[in-house]
Amino acid sequence: MADYKKLFPLLIKNPDLHYLDSGATTLKPQVVLDKIMEYYTEYSANIHRGLYPMSERATMEYENVRKKVATFINTKHESEVVFTSGTTASLNLVSRGWGEDNILEGDEVVISEMEHHSNLVPWQELCKRKGAILRYWLVEDFQLVMADMETYIGPKTKLIALTQVSNVLGTVNPIEEIVERARKINPKICIVIDGAQAVGHFKVDIQELNVDFYAFSAHKMYGPTGVGVLYAKASRQLQMSPENFGGGMIKEVHKEGASWAIGPEKFEAGTPPIAQVIGLGAAVDFLSGIGMETVASHEKELIDYAIGKLEKYSNIRVLGKKNNRIGVFSVVFNDEDMGTAHDWSSILGSKFNVCVRAGHHCAMPLHNLMGLPSGTLRASLGIYSTKEDIDAFVEGLIEVRKIFEETDNG
Amino acid sequence: MDDLYQEIILDHYKYPTHKGILEGGIEAGEVNMSCGDSLRITAKVEKGKIVDAKFSGGGCAISLAAADILLDMVIGKKLTEIKKMSGTEIEKIMGVELTPSRKKCAYLGLEVLKKLVNV
Repeated sequence: MADYKKLFPLLIKNPDLHYLDSGATTLKPQVVLDKIMEYYTEYSANIHRGLYPMSERATMEYENVRKKVATFINTKHESEVVFTSGTTASLNLVSRGWGEDNILEGDEVVISEMEHHSNLVPWQELCKRKGAILRYWLVEDFQLVMADMETYIGPKTKLIALTQVSNVLGTVNPIEEIVERARKINPKICIVIDGAQAVGHFKVDIQELNVDFYAFSAHKMYGPTGVGVLYAKASRQLQMSPENFGGGMIKEVHKEGASWAIGPEKFEAGTPPIAQVIGLGAAVDFLSGIGMETVASHEKELIDYAIGKLEKYSNIRVLGKKNNRIGVFSVVFNDEDMGTAHDWSSILGSKFNVCVRAGHHCAMPLHNLMGLPSGTLRASLGIYSTKEDIDAFVEGLIEVRKIFEETDNG
Repeated sequence: MDDLYQEIILDHYKYPTHKGILEGGIEAGEVNMSCGDSLRITAKVEKGKIVDAKFSGGGCAISLAAADILLDMVIGKKLTEIKKMSGTEIEKIMGVELTPSRKKCAYLGLEVLKKLVNV
């Protein structure tokens, strides 16, 4: 296995750290940090305004990232890439900017039971505001019940919002098949995909997926925090109202009113996170340099290794399928009185240098559905993850059990 | 932090003295949404004093151990005294300094108890 750890300064400084929380946020490679620093030290001007060389360079670098992202996820047009502050902002932009004008009373919106709160609450709120009906697509055996699809999606369904990859189960949903079947039922159906857990892990091809909106965050794909992307199909952009008003998004402003710019600028009011967008560009270059196939096969090898290892312990339950998944492992102990995920995570962190996440992972309905109201312990992989990290996690987990098992009465 | 899961806490978690429900007592409950902890306390009050109390619910070892320790502390105490109690008193008995996220767990019992005495 190639050693990617040496590309990440945090891991060079902390060689004993087992960082297994990439599903929450990935660490940043040196090339991304350098690119951000370069902006701040060499051409730290605002964009789209100044006519002096430094500002022209900033504008060029910023817009160049739009091109890079468009190529990376294969959109038809570069102008379909809108920069936001992250996946949550992207999904809220769709629910407000598109949903507000296009979802009417009595319309149906379909989401699944495995959604992250950020792809659930915006739709819940939209449906409340508009008097629309929110329907939940059932999850069984850690995946969407495909046979039931036509019972959820009918001629009244205006919008489907689904995650491409579950942030708890690792399950990869068959988006292409869903889109094809949904468009047969209603060709005008609007399809929104949460790609937060997908883009940094395998090749995402927007034109192949044939969706209307696709949201993701830079910081889960080795880029900086504070920036994300909303892919918005050109024809859908024309149906959207801006959410934020101000500089940079207008065509003309008069005392009586204003008109909007056409294209992604309409949704990027104010000075955008310039350094972060430029950092995202470096993250795209970083991933493209390794190649998404290499990223996916590196993680696949680790997934198989982790599942094989965890399966040996009958008192550890791994949620999710064996195949068709990415490297997110949520586990619980099979017996009582062993504490909760919060205890395990806290001990793994302080005693074993293992960083994993505990709780509901922003998916409370899914945990309630699985009968796990106290949450689960989640380990998630990145390009720098190794078999040693997985060993440390599993061995640490066994030690955690011992701490609870060895407490005697008295 | 290394000492958080020491014997006193694990003992109170695995072998609590005050776990259960007091029928006919007054009661209050609270949930800690971010963790999934839920705690309910039932208590018997006579002449302005807590004469007995029990807790029930589910949660992490820290929140349940802290609830048991708390009930050890308050049985026999006047309601007016309980109203003045702070989380640091529980922390002292637990013998550890808690991080902000674990304070939420350890203080849950006191939060419920304060709700109860204010009914």
